[in-house]
Amino acid sequence: MRIVLDIEVRDKPGELLKILTPIANLGANIISIIHSREERVGNRIPVRFVIDVEEDKFKTLINELEKVAIIKLIDGQKKKRYVDIVVIGHVVDTDIRDTIDRINTIGLVEDLDLLMPHPDLESSATMKILIDNYKIEELFYLLDELEKEKGLFFIKTLL
Amino acid sequence: MDIIILGFGVIGRGLAKVLYNKSDYLSKNYGKFNVVGIADSSGGIYNKDGIDLLKAIEVKEKTGKITNYKDAKKMDILDLIKEDGDVVVEVTPSNLETGEPANTHIIESFKNDKHVVTANKGPLCLCFNELITTAKKYNKIFRFEASVGGAMPIINLAKETLAGNEIYSIIGILNGTTNYILTKMEEEKIDFETALKEAQELGIAETNPSQDIDGLDTAAKIVILANAIMGLNKTIKDVKIKGIRRITPEAILLANKRGYTIKLIGNVNRKKLIVEPTLIPKYSPLNVKGTLNVAMFETDLAKEVVVVGRGAGPIETSSAILSDLISIYKEIKK
Repeated sequence: MRIVLDIEVRDKPGELLKILTPIANLGANIISIIHSREERVGNRIPVRFVIDVEEDKFKTLINELEKVAIIKLIDGQKKKRYVDIVVIGHVVDTDIRDTIDRINTIGLVEDLDLLMPHPDLESSATMKILIDNYKIEELFYLLDELEKEKGLFFIKTLL
Repeated sequence: MDIIILGFGVIGRGLAKVLYNKSDYLSKNYGKFNVVGIADSSGGIYNKDGIDLLKAIEVKEKTGKITNYKDAKKMDILDLIKEDGDVVVEVTPSNLETGEPANTHIIESFKNDKHVVTANKGPLCLCFNELITTAKKYNKIFRFEASVGGAMPIINLAKETLAGNEIYSIIGILNGTTNYILTKMEEEKIDFETALKEAQELGIAETNPSQDIDGLDTAAKIVILANAIMGLNKTIKDVKIKGIRRITPEAILLANKRGYTIKLIGNVNRKKLIVEPTLIPKYSPLNVKGTLNVAMFETDLAKEVVVVGRGAGPIETSSAILSDLISIYKEIKK
């Protein structure tokens, strides 16, 4: 089967090789690579691969590639999306690092904006989370758990 | 058509005013809508020749009891339901825990050969199937447009105008009080308590605002929509509910910065019923302000359909009750 993958790779020597290795190991054939340096997002560069891969190896290929890069689109379909959430409560005092680390096991907190009006009052924060579409339910389940455990209050985006 | 009104609070009196003001219009376009019975917590009154609505409103507002009205027989509510009449309008206060006394009133009305129109959420979100089954058993019409979204057409819109469509989901703001509070917090950067107090002073929020701000009112409404429109069999216990008490002005400010607003959203689909504060893109049709209500249907044929309207108020709610009365009138005069 032929697939088109839009991937973001870090702008560092050797990053492209990390992607090519699993493709070669699975015996997949690269038809073309478009490296769009001018469309850089932060320190990442979008690269489009057109690949011929055996159907039963497709999932393994995606899993292996995810270990080394961020897959944005598969055949033009978004694999990942951004989910914005608001969190209210004693956001910092309830170990914000742990909160973020646990969210990062499912997605990636890319941005955090925090307002602390007064030490006695609850703080409010927004988080921008990059996540696989199919993992959103799992994320929302985790947020419900964190709410109960840490007394936080999450406001999710309407999907 | 002879009408008995059970409940003569703000909504009952609002309906009486509307029926009085529209009597010429109704006679000209349909026929005579005659109120023969009225009840409140003090008991019921009945006059087969019709009750003077202005006088009844005056008596209730001056003395607090409809039973002080002269020129009518006085009786218990359940006896009033047994008197001659075509339609019972049930607008006693909603009880979201037991559904009573409205549930008994509605069932007894069907048993005593009356069609029913109600604005009462309690029985609808607790005993929906029983009510529908009883109405069918006695071959009576049961309509309840006013129970959700006040004047905003929602139940009849889905069941009649969108007939033939499969409704996948309904998402909306179904409580004007919370929308008013959140709008105030956003526009004036004030905290929840201040906005609530202001809403109470204006009569938008009740002295005990819990049903609104803790999300129960919205939950009751989405249960009604789930059962009446989507054919599910749910009660209020099936709804995951979060209210708006913990929303801070800072949270709204941060949401605004990212292009969102925060609204208390009721969301019903085949998998779940949820009421919770939600981030809504500012450009979304769901971002309506003040006390307005909004509902978005997602359907198979028509795709998205959005309605916006006034969700509360005696005259607005009476608009929905009147449309149900007219539709019953048309049906029974066929």
